[in-house]
Amino acid sequence: MKYLDNVFIEMENINKVFPGTVANDDISIKVKKGEVISLLGENGAGKTTLMKILYGMYKADRGEIKIDGKKVNINSPQKAKKLGIGMIHQHFTLVPVHTVLENVLLQLNESYAPKYVENKIKEIGNKYELVVDPSALINELPVGFQQRVEIIKALLGNSKLLIMDEPTAVLTPQETEKLFKFINEFKSEGNSVIFITHKLNEVMEISDRIIVLRDGKKVGSINKKDADREKLTQMMIGREFDFEVKKNEATIGKKIIEVDNVSIVGETGNQILNNISLNISAGEIFGVAGVSGNGQEELADAIAGLKKISNGDIRLMGKSIVNLNIREIINSGVGYIPADRHKVGLVLEMTVEENLILKSTYGQKYFNKYKLLKSKKLKIDTEKKINKFNIKVSTSKALVHSLSGGNQQKVVVAREVTLGDKLLIASQPTRGLDFGAAAYVKRTLEKEKSKGKAILLISNELSEIMELSDKIGVIYEGEILDIFDRNEADLKKIGLLMTGVRGESFEK
Amino acid sequence: MSHLKNRSNSVKDLFLDKFNNKLVLILSSVFSIFMGLTVSGLLMLFLNQNPVEAYKLIIEFAFIDSYNIANIFAKSTPLILTALAFGFAFKAKLFNIGAQGQFYIGVLAAVFVSLKLGWMPPFFVLSLSLAASFAAAGIWASFIGYFKAYFNANEFLVSMMSTYVAVAIMDYLLRGPLQESKGEYPQTDLIPNTAKIPTFINGTQFHYGFFAAVGAALIIYYILWHTRLGFHIRAVGQNRNAAEFSGINEKKIFIIVFLICGGLAGIAGFMQVNGINHMAVQGFEADIGAAGIGVAILGNANPIGIVFAALLFSTLEVGGLMLTQTSSLPSSIIGIMQGSVVIFVVISYFINNKFNILKRKRKLINNGEEI
Ligand SMILES: Nc1ncnc2c1ncn2[C@@H]1O[C@H](COP(=O)(O)OP(=O)(O)OP(=O)(O)O)[C@@H](O)[C@H]1O
Ligand SMILES: [Mg+2]
Repeated sequence: MKYLDNVFIEMENINKVFPGTVANDDISIKVKKGEVISLLGENGAGKTTLMKILYGMYKADRGEIKIDGKKVNINSPQKAKKLGIGMIHQHFTLVPVHTVLENVLLQLNESYAPKYVENKIKEIGNKYELVVDPSALINELPVGFQQRVEIIKALLGNSKLLIMDEPTAVLTPQETEKLFKFINEFKSEGNSVIFITHKLNEVMEISDRIIVLRDGKKVGSINKKDADREKLTQMMIGREFDFEVKKNEATIGKKIIEVDNVSIVGETGNQILNNISLNISAGEIFGVAGVSGNGQEELADAIAGLKKISNGDIRLMGKSIVNLNIREIINSGVGYIPADRHKVGLVLEMTVEENLILKSTYGQKYFNKYKLLKSKKLKIDTEKKINKFNIKVSTSKALVHSLSGGNQQKVVVAREVTLGDKLLIASQPTRGLDFGAAAYVKRTLEKEKSKGKAILLISNELSEIMELSDKIGVIYEGEILDIFDRNEADLKKIGLLMTGVRGESFEK
Repeated sequence: MSHLKNRSNSVKDLFLDKFNNKLVLILSSVFSIFMGLTVSGLLMLFLNQNPVEAYKLIIEFAFIDSYNIANIFAKSTPLILTALAFGFAFKAKLFNIGAQGQFYIGVLAAVFVSLKLGWMPPFFVLSLSLAASFAAAGIWASFIGYFKAYFNANEFLVSMMSTYVAVAIMDYLLRGPLQESKGEYPQTDLIPNTAKIPTFINGTQFHYGFFAAVGAALIIYYILWHTRLGFHIRAVGQNRNAAEFSGINEKKIFIIVFLICGGLAGIAGFMQVNGINHMAVQGFEADIGAAGIGVAILGNANPIGIVFAALLFSTLEVGGLMLTQTSSLPSSIIGIMQGSVVIFVVISYFINNKFNILKRKRKLINNGEEI
């Protein structure tokens, strides 16, 4: 009886079928009050689908949901909010051209005085160290800050259960710490959290109980104290898994890309990039470490020709590319896995096939000389890539939006790796990937490197940078503060540099 | 991992999914047509007419003899083209509200060529007149795309305003250089027989142009789904950022799309001048542009859907015209019928859209979480 009293939400025998996929197969879970549950599973295991059903965004084909023992019908997110269920989304539920305040106002069911909400935003911001300027425009905020707005939005709704679907994917380690602090505080008030992540160390740190899904089925639920990394992995993929990415000692070839004193000055005269210089040679991975929003996206965009530079020069194979247009840069062998795959990487309403050739529409590879589509060749090539890159999709003609997050990323990776035969820019390439897929992407980067490509790796995950890079540059406020060789890189020093503490002050 | 497991099954599912979407679309169109006609029927009650009787008569009249049946095809010909002029731009998320003006530019080009080059054999006059109407109106409209591309002008407003300019040009030319030799009315002389599009059924207005219009719809369909241009148009329409990221030149796309749209509306002008009126009259066919938008909406901007929507509108027009001539119903009842059908289509769009926005929101939310 005591136990039952303590249960907040029960999902019973949930079933959800999409054309071609059983996303949830008879899943039952319970969430107790004051409990943090981690939901684990590979890409496409059905985690998001299950949470969407709980949040009223999808209708289950079968099964029911109970709150405090009473059956409820959650048919919309509004209803879910009323019942005390909140969901933290990572991106794109924000209107980019509106301010932070406007976005928060937009999602509130009742109307409040803007001033009141503004104060609320500041209050929550201060309390949980999620400070964000209420009058800032969303599209001018870096991804990490947009995430904060999402969290604040959910906190304003008085939720008793917060669902967080991969909230840490865009956060820096420091921000993640703050989030965890908040989660613990939230939990101690008797609230519950369902937390989705692909990072096992986070699972081990934050959860009380772990529920594992595989191929749409619930594999099991275990308490944190009975769990360890190996066990969880075993449950998730049904076999042991080799985490290690073998480091290839590729022979360093000639310089592929030279970034020479590059600066970008913003419209208001602010220095977005400040005299950045770096070289990457064939067979080398250059990792850019830094807290997101310090200019790493702009650096990548500048090399890819998406952003004009104010000063300096960028040379590919010795030739300046600053005056080339985007297409010419693509054609000279630069692949770019962008951090924001939905905004720029994919056309969600087009098919997997079409997205794979988005950048190859010029020339005669997929269109003949009359500019007509070679559909047969497209189909054959697509199926090869689907197999090669392990993209889980029912058919190559499926629209990309029907793929799970991880599989969407694989489409981008497949395309860009193929295109970038000289330089591959990889910005947050493993974001949102399960460890199997992440390891796969890392191995791909290693493999491409050993083929003699130069690779620019940008990641919020220091561990990833440390794992893969041959050279590491630390970026802070648009400036590369220091560049280390992998062997002499000192984690502590890099961590401090990332927050702007320079060598001199470090010595003191 | 067997990614392609249950492959055939999935393909079937996908097909069913697509088919279902299409089916929903067709059903909601049929429903809108039904509702539109019901509402206009209620209005007829106020006019002391029996709507059931009236609709029976419309159908009867529309198909009463070969002349009327032929007329349905004749009337749908320019409608298909002005509807394509709206629908094609729509695929790139562009609004072309200026089909009326583009139509007039096409009319002027066609009548000019037909009058000046009438001494040539029919094949040449007709080809040149067709080409001239496409080119003139296409270039005219491409400026809308140009202003959008290079000055970030709002294409909705620019295209709408451009119609006023086209009307002014037409007024000037039909009162000046192109005015009939009698100099009495603001209209041109009749074009020579060599410049007339041959009729498909003798003694009716059903001319071969109808097949050209259907051909144009098929070509547009083909462009959209099987060519590089169509690929680029859809990419730009669905995600401009991703298109830019992929090196697709959206400026060029804006200009080309408007060029083609203008050209299509221009050909509608050719059809009327060389196929029906055999001259240009100031301000004639003044609602062909607006009707085109209605047809495009009813046809869901799909080239094939547009052909059927145009035929429906023309049937109402032809049957309705005889009905109003033989009863006390005012001729405006035809417009009311077409208008209310479109209104219901828009309402069902709106509902659908709400649905889609919800779906999209979910998708966005979904995608957000999944990153
Ligand atoms: N709207 C949809 N239409 C069709 N299939 C879908 C849809 N949403 C999800 N699926 C499919 O359902 C399965 C489960 O997807 P879901 O998004 O729940 O996975 P996930 O566990 O969240 O994966 P990830 O870690 O990659 O985010 C996948 O195979 C996916 O392709
Ligand atoms: Mg997911």
